[in-house]
Amino acid sequence: MTKMAEEQWRSGVILRRNRPGSSAKDFRRWPDEPFEEMDSTLAVQQFIQQTIRRDPANLEAILKIPEAQDDGVWKYEHLRQFCMELNGLAVRLQSECKPEICTQMTATEQWIFLCAAHKTPKECPAIDYTRHTLDGAACLLNSNKYFPSRVSIKESSVAKLGSVCRRVYRIFSHAYFHHRAIFDAFEKETHLCKRFTYFVTKYSIISKEILILPKLEDETPIAQQPGESEA
Amino acid sequence: MKIPTAMDDSSVSHHNGGQVGSQIGVSVNNKQNEESSQSVQYSIPGVLHFIQHEWARFEVERSQWEVDRAEFEARIAFLQGERKGQENLKNDLVRRIKMLEYALKQERAKFHKLKYGVDLQQGDMRPPTEEPTQEPEPSERAQWKQGRQLIKQYLQEIGYTDTILDVRSNKVRTLLGLNNEEPADDSSHRNCDKQQHYSMNTALNRKMYEYGGKDQRKGAQQGSGYNEEGMSVQETAAVFANFEFLSNQEMDMDEIDDLDAKQMHHTTTKQGEDVDQEAEDVLTELNLLTESEADGGQGDEFPTVKFPATSATVAREGDGKPLALGELAQLTVSNESEGYDVASASKESFRKTWNAKYSLRSHFDGVRALAFHPTRAALVTASEDHTLKMWDLQRTVPAKKSAGLDVEPLYTFRAHTAPVLCLAMGAPRSEECFSGGLDGTIRVWNLPPPIADPYDSYDPAVLGPVLREHTDAVWSLSCAGGRLLSSSADGTARLWSPRDPRPLLATLRDDAPGSTSAPAAADFADAACRAAVVYTDGTLLLYDLETGQVVLRVPCDSPANRVRSHPTLPLLVTAHEDRHIRFWDAVSGRCAHAMVAHLDAVTGLALDPNGLFLLSGSHDCSVRLWNLDTKTCVQEITAHRKKFDESILDVAFHPLRPYIASAGADGLAKVFV
Repeated sequence: MTKMAEEQWRSGVILRRNRPGSSAKDFRRWPDEPFEEMDSTLAVQQFIQQTIRRDPANLEAILKIPEAQDDGVWKYEHLRQFCMELNGLAVRLQSECKPEICTQMTATEQWIFLCAAHKTPKECPAIDYTRHTLDGAACLLNSNKYFPSRVSIKESSVAKLGSVCRRVYRIFSHAYFHHRAIFDAFEKETHLCKRFTYFVTKYSIISKEILILPKLEDETPIAQQPGESEA
Repeated sequence: MKIPTAMDDSSVSHHNGGQVGSQIGVSVNNKQNEESSQSVQYSIPGVLHFIQHEWARFEVERSQWEVDRAEFEARIAFLQGERKGQENLKNDLVRRIKMLEYALKQERAKFHKLKYGVDLQQGDMRPPTEEPTQEPEPSERAQWKQGRQLIKQYLQEIGYTDTILDVRSNKVRTLLGLNNEEPADDSSHRNCDKQQHYSMNTALNRKMYEYGGKDQRKGAQQGSGYNEEGMSVQETAAVFANFEFLSNQEMDMDEIDDLDAKQMHHTTTKQGEDVDQEAEDVLTELNLLTESEADGGQGDEFPTVKFPATSATVAREGDGKPLALGELAQLTVSNESEGYDVASASKESFRKTWNAKYSLRSHFDGVRALAFHPTRAALVTASEDHTLKMWDLQRTVPAKKSAGLDVEPLYTFRAHTAPVLCLAMGAPRSEECFSGGLDGTIRVWNLPPPIADPYDSYDPAVLGPVLREHTDAVWSLSCAGGRLLSSSADGTARLWSPRDPRPLLATLRDDAPGSTSAPAAADFADAACRAAVVYTDGTLLLYDLETGQVVLRVPCDSPANRVRSHPTLPLLVTAHEDRHIRFWDAVSGRCAHAMVAHLDAVTGLALDPNGLFLLSGSHDCSVRLWNLDTKTCVQEITAHRKKFDESILDVAFHPLRPYIASAGADGLAKVFV
């Protein structure tokens, strides 16, 4: 714990702040704040990030919805977090996934995915599909029209989350089938694909047929745990 | 005995006189010797000689003074003329702006009427009153001419040739971006009356001609010298031409001022459209002009010191540097920054209130830093979501409540693998920016062109060099004159030349015993010769960038978050965790002023390009604008929400345009106009 944090402990006031000049290892390293005590409009995001920081592998804890939490906001904030962390995968792909080699967005041979960011869907190269999908998701999830608030979300807007999830999943699957080394390194660090799979299964956001990735090693059969899929 | 005439070569006359005098003196002495009288000290010839000598000396000095006087008078007249010219041009530009504004209002009203069928209530719909042209009174002009002749005479007497006069007058005219090629310019292909076009310019040019004397003759020789400015001259000409057309049109507008309906219903469709077209042309061209002017003005010099336009031209004139329209751009631009509305701008010296206009929503997490493009209405934001985004304020989506406009990002920069913490914009025209991240890297980015589509294919050319020497989070960046100053949690501040093969120029480390804290922020100071670095323990250090040595050490108790140096004065401003903003004399290290500025830690600081206002942001969720002179708060804006205990993380001024912006932990950036 930093010197400053210690002082704060003693004085009884905890300021959860990243001060300029603080070391990278201290970034967001502050004592957890109980969800009930968070009074910010960004409480759900704060809570999710706090839980991920504690242990990114503990999917159960990360995806356990707090009591009395609105379901739509919970899903929405998780999807925001996924898109944000997927940026890490996109950065890694940027250096390897060249438009000359991966000319189309594919996973298995079965489908070619068209990029929905354009007026008429287009056969973008995989790296462009990745970027466009993430940029498009950023615009949609921040759109004043569909998601004007972060504390309550209209039912009609919640329906939008499904299509974002489907597209985002293709980024995982492309990386898995065509850039396995990158995928594995990224997954080892973040457990993001596992978390995502668990997330979409648990809340039945995408149908199981679309989840084409084979079960990842050491993935406990959490998806089959009774009583969770309908939560 | 020969008595030298007054205007003879003085040294010769002196010599002759001396000889004669001494000869006589000798003969007299001989006589006196004969009379054995030794006491005679002053002989008549000796006195005469002395008087002659003295008189000649005074004559020389007098002529010297006269030469000096003539020189000074010439200089005074020249400067006066220059000032008049500047004033004329300014008045003309202001008048033109008023015209354009009026035309624009007309258009708006028309458009509104067509769209909603109701008259638009606009504040001031009167056409701008035509100010009397600034022709000097005949008597005054006669006086002028006389004076000029006199000076010319003086100058010729003392050997000033016409060429000097010409060189100077050319300089003045270069300054004004006008030359004689204009009448021959083809840009008058628009259907404008050339005669009138002249009459417009003549008022402006006449004085120049009066000073120039030989301008017409020199025109051809100037040709080559003007090549670089060719564009701006042509643009000026085009604008003049267009403006001419408008001023013709203005008569019509006067007539139909109250009969808008006539124009609205497009009974005279064709003419109406012509006007539209022309007005639009003028607007775009004026835009072009200001932009290119701004470029010319900023050039590669540091944009640190800015004089008021007039004094700048006078001061710079001495350097003998040929000035393009550059300085005048600041004249136009400063008008612009004073406000949209020239009428109100003339009444009050600054805008009193800023209002939120654009909200920039697209980051998934807190926005740590933002920086405006040096010239365009665009900005870049850096976020904890590991990305940077570029936004063009001219490409907007109207939001639901018409209060503000949503902007969609033009481009997303991906390469950092951790939160991006700081950002600096490159020099004008370099089209680059720099970002520093929690991952310890500093990245150079090539900004995509403004026409880029957000969903274009990926071009790795946006990625510039990566500077990896820092071993911990990079918390602040600032850029001046192509050099970059960074500060990092690894305890060092570093100076870079980002695109060199060996980019690291210097490492600034506090060698004082017992100093363990890391720098929190750094900024260039003193025309980029020094670096001001604040440390997490509150110490403020000033490094000399030549030697890398600490030249000033100012201890302070409260941890600091940000430091900024004043663009023109030796003044440093620091933002502190204890809610204070402190002002330091950069020479003596004395604390010039300290004030409790916010209800919580102060995080962001920005100074406006003229150094008159200070913008501060704080974790208390508010942005405050301060008058630097009186140190009073001019405006407070509540802008962002809290995430944990953080709220506003950065604030910024646009270097040329009237925009300010704030970045928040809530993932939003907001732009105020």
